[in-house]
Amino acid sequence: MTAKEILESYDEITIGEQLCEDTLFFTLFEKQFLFIAPSRDDLSSGAEIYLYNDSFLDYPHILLRETNITEGKVLPKGTYRWVCLFEQDSIVNSILSYDEKIYDCIDRLIELLNMSSVEKEREFQKEFLYYWNSESIGDNSFQIYLDQDDQVAEMDVYFSKSIVRLTDSRIALSDIEETVKGERRWMHHIEKDAFFIPIKDCRGVLPPHRGYKWTAKDLHEIIYGKQIEHISDESFEKIKTLIPKTQDVLLVFGMRTETTNIAFALNMKCKNRVGHSLLEKILTDITAVEPMFTKRKDYSYLSEQIGNDIGAKRKKVLLVGAGSLGSYVALELVKNGFTYLKIYDDDTLTEENTLRWAYEGYGIGASKTQTLKIMLEWLHPQILIDSCNKKLDTESLTEELKDTDIIIFTIGNSDAQLKFNKVLNQQVFTKPVLYVWLEEGGLYSHILFVDYRKPGCFECLYTDTSGEKVNNRARKNTDLAAENGMIRNGCGGTRAAYGTSILLKTTAALLDTLHEIDRNKLTKNTLIDITPTRVGASDIIFPMEACNCCGNNAE
Amino acid sequence: MKLKKQFADFYKEIRIDDETHALRDKREVLQADIKAKLPGILEDHDITINKSDIRLIDQGSYKYHTTIKADVVDRDVAVMIPLSTSDNTDTRKIKGYLRDAIDIPARTVVIKEPCVRASYYEDGKEWLHIDLPLYAEDGDSVFLARGKEHSSDYSWESADPEGLNDYLCEKINGNNQLRRIICFIKKWRNEKYSGSTSDHEIPPSIGLTLLACDCFSEQSSSEGDDDLLSLQKTMKGILDKFSYTFDGNGDLIRTISRSLPVTPYTDVFKKMKDSSSSYMTTFYNRLSKAVDNLTDAVNVESEHDAGEYVQKVLGESFIVPPKEAVAAQAQNKREHSFG
Ligand SMILES: [Zn+2]
Ligand SMILES: [Zn+2]
Repeated sequence: MTAKEILESYDEITIGEQLCEDTLFFTLFEKQFLFIAPSRDDLSSGAEIYLYNDSFLDYPHILLRETNITEGKVLPKGTYRWVCLFEQDSIVNSILSYDEKIYDCIDRLIELLNMSSVEKEREFQKEFLYYWNSESIGDNSFQIYLDQDDQVAEMDVYFSKSIVRLTDSRIALSDIEETVKGERRWMHHIEKDAFFIPIKDCRGVLPPHRGYKWTAKDLHEIIYGKQIEHISDESFEKIKTLIPKTQDVLLVFGMRTETTNIAFALNMKCKNRVGHSLLEKILTDITAVEPMFTKRKDYSYLSEQIGNDIGAKRKKVLLVGAGSLGSYVALELVKNGFTYLKIYDDDTLTEENTLRWAYEGYGIGASKTQTLKIMLEWLHPQILIDSCNKKLDTESLTEELKDTDIIIFTIGNSDAQLKFNKVLNQQVFTKPVLYVWLEEGGLYSHILFVDYRKPGCFECLYTDTSGEKVNNRARKNTDLAAENGMIRNGCGGTRAAYGTSILLKTTAALLDTLHEIDRNKLTKNTLIDITPTRVGASDIIFPMEACNCCGNNAE
Repeated sequence: MKLKKQFADFYKEIRIDDETHALRDKREVLQADIKAKLPGILEDHDITINKSDIRLIDQGSYKYHTTIKADVVDRDVAVMIPLSTSDNTDTRKIKGYLRDAIDIPARTVVIKEPCVRASYYEDGKEWLHIDLPLYAEDGDSVFLARGKEHSSDYSWESADPEGLNDYLCEKINGNNQLRRIICFIKKWRNEKYSGSTSDHEIPPSIGLTLLACDCFSEQSSSEGDDDLLSLQKTMKGILDKFSYTFDGNGDLIRTISRSLPVTPYTDVFKKMKDSSSSYMTTFYNRLSKAVDNLTDAVNVESEHDAGEYVQKVLGESFIVPPKEAVAAQAQNKREHSFG
């Protein structure tokens, strides 16, 4: 069928001027649309629809951007506004037939134009920030860093060129003190007080759009709604007690809809009345409300976007070893919800490490931990890395235990592992400890999870059933058995020839293990083997009852 | 189970959990005015009460959380004062004193048959009224002051506002499905009677609430509460409570009665019946239509079609899910977007 024939099959549609075989005008519900059929040659193409010469003030998905054609060569002159019918990349066009694409597109348009007011509201809210930012005033871009999004909070304001950072006063950003040529990059700004207010019920809260600008009334409705309480009692009471020191105030609102979690900032211009509370200012002093271009940037928000565990954010990780494995582990930890790491390693990065270090080419000759600090903090200013350019010793370890929530050893030195194991066992450390190491040859690696309140420790691996000390029983790579009893199981100082595959696999297995620990799924101390074909619990005897450290033979 | 999410969304859309701060502030100022000014005005007419004798009792849907969004917020607060009804037989006067105590420009105050009403306007539009039924505590009995300001029809009617509160709270609080069903029925009433102007043409909320409690049918499955089925069965139950008689012309007249569960045990639909016999017939016909649509929704297989039937009952804020064919097609050819 031709595009025209398909459109004609709809009772609601009246065909207008046809410009060529796949471009024509039609009328639907008294509005004129330009229809461009999908290309028959390009299977990935879809149909497109533009609203023609219509102001159609307040409708979701009819985009604000419009194209004016004044000298029509191909298209008649007029205003064309693109109609957004598909979520980006939501449909695989290539597997739809030409006819299906057109039917689907028209069905969606009809559905769009038939929306009830509740549906319109939902659609507007889905794209709230798009509309908000389209209506924003001025050249400044507001970056929002929230510590939480369910309580009123005072915010700090920082300026850098055209960027304004609004941060919850409780958040410390690692780059806020940064200087460029002796000048501070971020200036603490005190001309305007700023506050965050969470909206708990967003019914009726619409973004500004064509023909609808925000005024004091919109703020009155949010803060002091007539029928719907948009903010919590707690927020209301807080707003009553806050006394802004400045005439104008910046407000950031947070709002969760079914599909989105957004924050938007505005400048609230006010009459000069001294001593008014924030509530009084909002209710009686507003002279103008100016939407500001807003982007939310805090770690929790970004973390939520990829489904991370938010609780991890508050946990401090002690990472011992910043070799190849440590560098990969550190990088993934900060992407997976952990923002606070303390890293120990006395090594410097050499040319030969380059290809199996998480940050290639950077920091050759410099301290590994210092390089990690710079690179990881660069990822996000809420990431805080404490770098210790030294070998961890038992004294430091004892000291660190006081405020550490998780310990991860990514060192391959058995003597060091056994020594630290003893300290942790003696202290009966109550938080999760993970020993992660590679075997030489780069084919196998292991993760040992220990909770020192339960049976099983690192030394169990070096003990046989009669309590005699033996080589690491977890080892799989028997061909390369060391002749002299000295174990060089991979990471750290040794330079065995292995690529990054084992590092990626081991790091992935560690992330899964951390996830299980977090969900209390690992109820026993567990040894996990990572082989070229599988990741799973080891079948060696563990815990070892005869262990001299944690077992029957312990002193 | 059909339309589970749609019913949940719809309830979220129409429900009002609690008083807003704006409303509470208005109510508290009004209550303070009553306490501050009413004793003085009564004193001028040789009736002595203390400020502390005035009791203000929260009533109505806010009390048992069955309030839904409406054009005008409707709040009920009972005003109870110790008063000898035999010494003060003219309820119109007493209601007038209450009116005088609160009549300031910030609100418009009128005397209605069962109460004194304070209305609030913004930009010329009423957004809130607080109804203040006035009760006299006389010995062991409580009486409601009835009668319009200039009507010859006025009286003290024995009443038990607290008993009614307790009755409804006990039935409704803790029963979330019932609470939702009451909200849905009230929403249906608002939709179908949106064009009505006469008070007594519209089935009163108290009547619908009592009937919903009487006929409530709890419905759930392993997937959770089935509000569609519960609503259909409850409304069918109410419909079945109608009886019929014949009028003088031999025409069938539908009617329903529900007496208050407390003193004075009068029929909550009495005014509706007394105003016009056609009101009851209209009520029956509209309810019957709603039950038909809900029954179709229950029986039809397609969720989309079911949604359309429900939308006919509850109005356009009930969102109809997309057609299955379209939805399934879109689902199959949908791509997961990552980047
Ligand atoms: Zn869109
Ligand atoms: Zn052990």
